[in-house]
Amino acid sequence: MRAFAYERPATLADAVTVLGDGGPDARPLAGGTDLIIRLRDGSIQPRVVVDLKWIAELDREIRDGDDRLTIGARTVMTDLAADRRIRREFPALAEAAAVVGAVQIRNRATLAGNICNASPAADTAPALLVYDATVLVAGPGGSRQIPIDAFFVRSGVTTLVRGEVVTAIELPRAASSPGAVHLRRTRRRGHDLASVTLACAVQADGTTRLAYGSLGPRPVLVTDVTGVLADPAAPERAKVERLDTLFVAASPSARSMRASPDYRLAMLHVLGLRAVGIALGRLADGANAR
Amino acid sequence: MTIQPIEVTVNGRARRIDVAPHHTLLEVLRDDLGLTGTKECCLVGECGACTVLVDGVSVDSCLMLAVEADGATVGTVEGIATGDRLHRLQQAFLDTGAAQCGFCIPGQLISAQALLALTPHPTRAEIEEGLAGNLCRCAGYEQIIEAVQAAAAADPAASQGAAER
Amino acid sequence: MTDQGVGGSPTRVGGRDRVTGHQTYVADVRLEDALHAKLVSIDCARARIVAIDVSAALAVPGVRLAITANDLPQPMPRFGPQFIDRPVLAVDETHYHGEPVAAVAADTHDAAEEAARLVRIEYEELPAVFTIAAALDPDAPLVQDPSFRPGDPLARTNVLREHRYGWGDVEGATADVVVEGTYTFPMVTQFAIEPHGFIAAPDGDGIAIWSSIQHPSWLQRVIAGLLHLPLSKVRVFAPDPGGGFGGKQHAKYEPLVAFMALRAGRPVRLVLTLEETFQAVRRGASEIRVRSGFRFDGSLVFRDVEANYLIGAYADIADRTVGKGSYTSSGPYLIPAVRIVARSVLSHTTPSTAFRGFGNPQQIWAVESNMDEAAGVLRIDPLALRLRNLADRGDAFIPGDTAADGDWAKTVERAAEMIGWGSPPVAGRGRGIALGLKSGPTTGLSYSTVRLLADGSVVVHAGTSDMGQGARTIFAQIAARELGCPLEWVTVVMGDTAVVPYDQQTSASRSSVLMGNSILNGCREVQAKLRSMAARLESVDEDAITVDRGEVRIGERVLPIRDVLIRGLGRLGGEVIGIGEMRKEAEPDHPLGGTAAFYEFNCTAVEVEVDRATGDIVVVRHVTVSDVGKALNPMQVRGQDEGAAVMGLGHTLMEHYIHDETGRIRNLGAIDYRIPTSMDLPLRMESDIIENEDGPGPYGSKGMSEGALLCVAPAVAAAVRDATGVVIRDLPLTPERVWRALRDAAAPTR
Repeated sequence: MRAFAYERPATLADAVTVLGDGGPDARPLAGGTDLIIRLRDGSIQPRVVVDLKWIAELDREIRDGDDRLTIGARTVMTDLAADRRIRREFPALAEAAAVVGAVQIRNRATLAGNICNASPAADTAPALLVYDATVLVAGPGGSRQIPIDAFFVRSGVTTLVRGEVVTAIELPRAASSPGAVHLRRTRRRGHDLASVTLACAVQADGTTRLAYGSLGPRPVLVTDVTGVLADPAAPERAKVERLDTLFVAASPSARSMRASPDYRLAMLHVLGLRAVGIALGRLADGANAR
Repeated sequence: MTIQPIEVTVNGRARRIDVAPHHTLLEVLRDDLGLTGTKECCLVGECGACTVLVDGVSVDSCLMLAVEADGATVGTVEGIATGDRLHRLQQAFLDTGAAQCGFCIPGQLISAQALLALTPHPTRAEIEEGLAGNLCRCAGYEQIIEAVQAAAAADPAASQGAAER
Repeated sequence: MTDQGVGGSPTRVGGRDRVTGHQTYVADVRLEDALHAKLVSIDCARARIVAIDVSAALAVPGVRLAITANDLPQPMPRFGPQFIDRPVLAVDETHYHGEPVAAVAADTHDAAEEAARLVRIEYEELPAVFTIAAALDPDAPLVQDPSFRPGDPLARTNVLREHRYGWGDVEGATADVVVEGTYTFPMVTQFAIEPHGFIAAPDGDGIAIWSSIQHPSWLQRVIAGLLHLPLSKVRVFAPDPGGGFGGKQHAKYEPLVAFMALRAGRPVRLVLTLEETFQAVRRGASEIRVRSGFRFDGSLVFRDVEANYLIGAYADIADRTVGKGSYTSSGPYLIPAVRIVARSVLSHTTPSTAFRGFGNPQQIWAVESNMDEAAGVLRIDPLALRLRNLADRGDAFIPGDTAADGDWAKTVERAAEMIGWGSPPVAGRGRGIALGLKSGPTTGLSYSTVRLLADGSVVVHAGTSDMGQGARTIFAQIAARELGCPLEWVTVVMGDTAVVPYDQQTSASRSSVLMGNSILNGCREVQAKLRSMAARLESVDEDAITVDRGEVRIGERVLPIRDVLIRGLGRLGGEVIGIGEMRKEAEPDHPLGGTAAFYEFNCTAVEVEVDRATGDIVVVRHVTVSDVGKALNPMQVRGQDEGAAVMGLGHTLMEHYIHDETGRIRNLGAIDYRIPTSMDLPLRMESDIIENEDGPGPYGSKGMSEGALLCVAPAVAAAVRDATGVVIRDLPLTPERVWRALRDAAAPTR
């Protein structure tokens, strides 16, 4: 690949400065599993690569808070998939993290990097959406918090401004966890990029949140407040109709190599219904366990 | 072009080397350190031929810049045996016929080593998942999987608390 | 460890190096002073080269060479195993996506990469043909200049050759039921985990080449011809390839690298990226129409096959795969009337070449799918339909060729037994069965040297390429057995044309038989010399002496070979040398140039589950049984068969090239070209072999390694039909394709 300079800022302030000054010529490096591929194929040609892994203020911890779980920016997929609290309270995220590539990728890829890369097919995005995550950011203008649904703009683009760095991702802890699941469609059972990636969370109050990726320029969150999806007694036909309405904005790319638009849309509906069923079951199990 | 000095312990040996920032760990291992056991194939983190251990954890060395390994401990296939004594994993790979052309084998061994370190008695499904980042085109994977199972069974710590699976 | 002898499974020779990272592949070879080379190509399927400017490339520090067609001898040197059509570098026009138009060489890899980026090419994109329909259109641009085929009526078409085989009277045949279908097979690539690598270095007054080549002697001939050197001045080193599968049989960029090395006066090293290998080698794609006629009782009355294989821009060995592969389209069946027409159709795509199965997987996909559909129409069990028509040992099932050489019915019945054919089906699952064969080598010539050293250890020189199939090991086993020494005392030297005698090639699963017999013959010569020695020492007639395995027998007395050897060599010491030659002569009147040395026969049976909502196929059970004659090394046989089976699942379920509307390959590289991983395996894979010691190879062996790939696709499709009722005639059976077929079947009035 083409040569570039390498910076290893030791503090957040240094990182913000270097990235701010460098503009589009400076690229942040976390796990490298997306960046290095693009450096190799020449689709990006930065003057400087800024390694975020040595910043003192960023960590790889998953911290307990009363009403939230805070995931440090350096946390990798392996950490998420293995963490007891994530598995118990945020299973859709644990499941998504477990399929972001094979183990070698998961050992390096960070959650923060996954969302900053903003691929429409990012597997962790639907889970973060249904869990209403918040992205903590530090930048030239100071710190701020971005609700995850306001973070994604379109493929490769987020609402981060020049010089901003994700410092952590927060997951609000509900009084009672929803029943939730992550599902996806791939071309083989082995690890693959998803042609549909979907998360579903059903809350005890009857609200169902669904988020899907890879069917449009960014991951999309839809919410059912009618209670139909969350009602175990509702007929399947009613759920299918409700899902049809919720998924109306899905717009798969016509150019994708991975799947045709009509197959993707059909699978969105198939997975949506399956996800609702599984989430409902998990909600019930959780209620029974208490 | 700037040169970055790094300190890295490779197969137990401390090395201090100058690397170019844009050179991957794979390139530096093969070209600068002469450790050609780790292989180049897809260079996009899909095939696992370049798998090495970094601080005990398996990674695709093609997706890591060498500079990122500064201060780290790196393990390659050349470091698995102890002198001329094969590790039981390597012996298992020989015993089951797991190595055919052999090109994917260094990566498979490292991934298997990492898997067994984490899960000393993996189920078949866990082995399949643990090796899913290592493509093989010769074997049907069966003999590789059997080798990992055999090595797990031969684990000297097997007597202690082998979980019921 | 088990029995070390032939039929045992000793540890692979070369295994230890493979598990310690010490095995040297071509990319691991380090030569002092070597230049790093990079290819430069145009991002088009076809283009007219207007101008190439290498000045910026040459200005990069460390760059020593930047060459184009103008820097090579005029007219452009060309090469190819069937047609001398492939230029060393593209001249005037490029004919496939990735065809090199220039090459650079530099002191460092970085400099070479930068130089390659700076080569400026002015070009005009031209319309390309990359489908069969487009290539056969009367107005299609011609892929190959007609001057390559003077006097050939097909020269003004993209049909490179048309092959016609058959017997009996298909037109006049009367059948009760006729089943017809057109079946397509996609473009797929070998995807060996080791990308091709080539090194050339000036070597005194000659040249040395390192290559991952499967045919070192053949490459030697090609290079010698192109460089106008005597063979003796071309030395080919052939390190064990990291997988070949046919994609490394014939010269690709060795000639280019050779010219560069001579020009630079230094070694030049080129290792392809994985993406470049997809652009360099693939299997022929195909559209095959099969029309089979049956009597109500299921007997085949006729088979009429018309096959179009889409080969690439240069012939390589592709036309041979078409001719030889389609030749056995009648399968292992007795069919009174057969007509086969098979065409090699040129296109502006990656040159297709040999790939495990050599043209047979494509036609077996067609004819066995056709058989399965026929079973449905006839309401006859698919297994029973096969057995009814299957040739028996000794049947001349292809007139003029080798008779059926195995107990094929037993192979089929074993597979059926293993899968539980006929047992009550599990709900939601389906079973499918398919069988097929491919012809072994039709000609062959393998020399070997067997040296029995003074202490009874042995060195064997054999030019076979061990690319994972384990040739090295079985050769050592043969020598160890015949000359009575432990396996660890045998060294097998391969891969150096200066040291190892001529071997025609490593392909067609030939090496067990051809090189194996050659080594056996070499051992026999050594044994004959030992008999003379013993006769002299013991003052006995030679006729009274036998040398068998490790022993010299004179009447009742048994002497170990070592004893005779040490005494016989005497004070001067020395060694006993045997030359082995195994030859299968060409038969010019035969349509393929020679009869089959043997047949590789396989039966594959699978059980699948289909998720009707998503189209996912899970292979619950996969059974593969091959008729191998004698398994010289059962562990290696199993590894090859199960590996072939999983490779077959690749093109069955997931592999295919994707082109854009102009013929560029879209899915270069490992992210969007999917092959099976350890998570994509059948839930239960079982392989077995039939050993009747009825092969022409050592101890009754036949060749193997390709059989278990041949029948995977039709077996899986048949199982899908059994599970869902849906017939799919196009590969791969991706979830999307299956879903679509199910949907279309459910709503036929759409």
